[in-house]
Amino acid sequence: MSNQGGMSRAQVAVLYLVLTSAIASGIAIYSSASTVTVLLKTATAGLFLPILLSLIVSFLLDPAVQFLDSKKINRSLGIFIVYFLLSAFIGLLMLIIGPPNWEGMILALKADFPRYTIQAIEYLSSWLAVVQQQFPFIKDYNIAENLRTTSQSFFGSVLKETPRSAIRFGSLLLLVPLFTFFFLRDSRRIMRSLISLTPNRYFEMVLDIYAHVSLQLAHFIRGRILEALIIGIVIWMGLSMTDIHYAPILAVIAGASNLVPYIGPIIGMLPGLIIALVDLGMGGQFWWILCVYLLIAQIIVDNFILIPILISKASNLHPLWVILAIVMGGKLYGVLGMIIGVPIVSIINITIIEIRQYRRTFNPYNRYFSSRGKML
Amino acid sequence: MNPFWHNIFRISREELTLAYFLGTLPAFKNLDKGELALLENIVHVRNYLADEMVFSEGDIGSGMYAIRSGQVQIYNLDEQGENEQVVLKTGDFFGEVALTASRPRCASARTTEPTVLVGLFRSDMLEAVRRHPVPAAKILVGLNRVISDRLLQCSIQLQQLKKQLAIDQEQTANE
Repeated sequence: MSNQGGMSRAQVAVLYLVLTSAIASGIAIYSSASTVTVLLKTATAGLFLPILLSLIVSFLLDPAVQFLDSKKINRSLGIFIVYFLLSAFIGLLMLIIGPPNWEGMILALKADFPRYTIQAIEYLSSWLAVVQQQFPFIKDYNIAENLRTTSQSFFGSVLKETPRSAIRFGSLLLLVPLFTFFFLRDSRRIMRSLISLTPNRYFEMVLDIYAHVSLQLAHFIRGRILEALIIGIVIWMGLSMTDIHYAPILAVIAGASNLVPYIGPIIGMLPGLIIALVDLGMGGQFWWILCVYLLIAQIIVDNFILIPILISKASNLHPLWVILAIVMGGKLYGVLGMIIGVPIVSIINITIIEIRQYRRTFNPYNRYFSSRGKML
Repeated sequence: MNPFWHNIFRISREELTLAYFLGTLPAFKNLDKGELALLENIVHVRNYLADEMVFSEGDIGSGMYAIRSGQVQIYNLDEQGENEQVVLKTGDFFGEVALTASRPRCASARTTEPTVLVGLFRSDMLEAVRRHPVPAAKILVGLNRVISDRLLQCSIQLQQLKKQLAIDQEQTANE
């Protein structure tokens, strides 16, 4: 009887057991999956920024380590030498120029910030009044009040975040050099072992694409950072010639915002212009500052000198992508996300371009098919 | 050798290393220990099953392979089917045409038994040239020597074939 169904009673029992246990474990895995992702999220929460920063730093320091390596110095020792030289250089710079009084400057900015916003809002509302006189159909939108509340809430959050970010900064000072050390020493080994996982048939292609992409990436990251650094220094020098306060902070803002193409320079210019307008008035110095930001830093130094030398045209992004990257980055990681969103999208862009080029020139079947897919 | 004696005269540990194997290749026999260590760092060891394609004719190649163990069959495809050129064994290498520039493979390569290949690829070679110019130059000179030998053999064979052809044509003309 039992043979008629093709299975004995014991087999049916085993099948039943296996099926129920499979379903039960499926449900268990499914319900615990959400907790696993939550666990993963909390475990990796603070690591994104230090890892990103140490990747960037290791890209910047790699040529120096490479140089020492070619002089037959042990790689670990070479990295320590580079670290030592770098810290000595920064220390020397601090000794010669004297550290810019960051703390005092931030305290002063805290005191001055409301003044600047109020003044800026006053300017804005006076312009608004003029506009409304000309075009009476524009309703009184009460932009001034809106701006005031948002700026106050922004300032409040900055105040609240400052001690927390100080702690974060301390942990960054510890983690970034550590991660950078290992990235500098072992990145080649790590990448080689990762690449060796690819199947034999695609190994050559993957290796070639990796070599191209990493070369382009190193170029791109070094170029961008160097560009931001030079722009920051140029703006610092330009602003130092005037009586404007907070020149170093403004230069840092301008340099960092220069990492974001198209929109960044404009945003980076705004605080400087507002402070100049409020403190110095609409005089010659204001025009000089505008000139420094716009003409000298952006047009002459950046567009005519730095971009042709440092940045390759291949990595240019369409403005639409830039805006999307800024919005999405801002949603994910706030102001930091806005700054790093565009470089990350550019990196993805470079990777895609490289792979596409590889496919076009290296496609093994293009001998048999015409470009329109017809068999030759 | 008798397995018994083989066990007593066991191969020394050094002879099992990748660097030692690379040193036995004719292209790299003039390299010293440091250079072999560098070479060991830039090659990739790949394991193949029996009857696995290494590359097919017309693929754009990016490097050469040396056979550490196993067997590789080199063949062309034509109207009659597969046309075997040669079967390569341990210590031989192939695909060196694609090392310096991306050229299409002029034949297909397939393993006939489980095989371990040691691959030397263009991107790694270029990186080595940037990082360690002197040893990389020696490696390239060694490769160049072997390729020159092959070219010389080719041209000698070509001359002989031309002579043979001329003689054959004369004979047919005389008849």
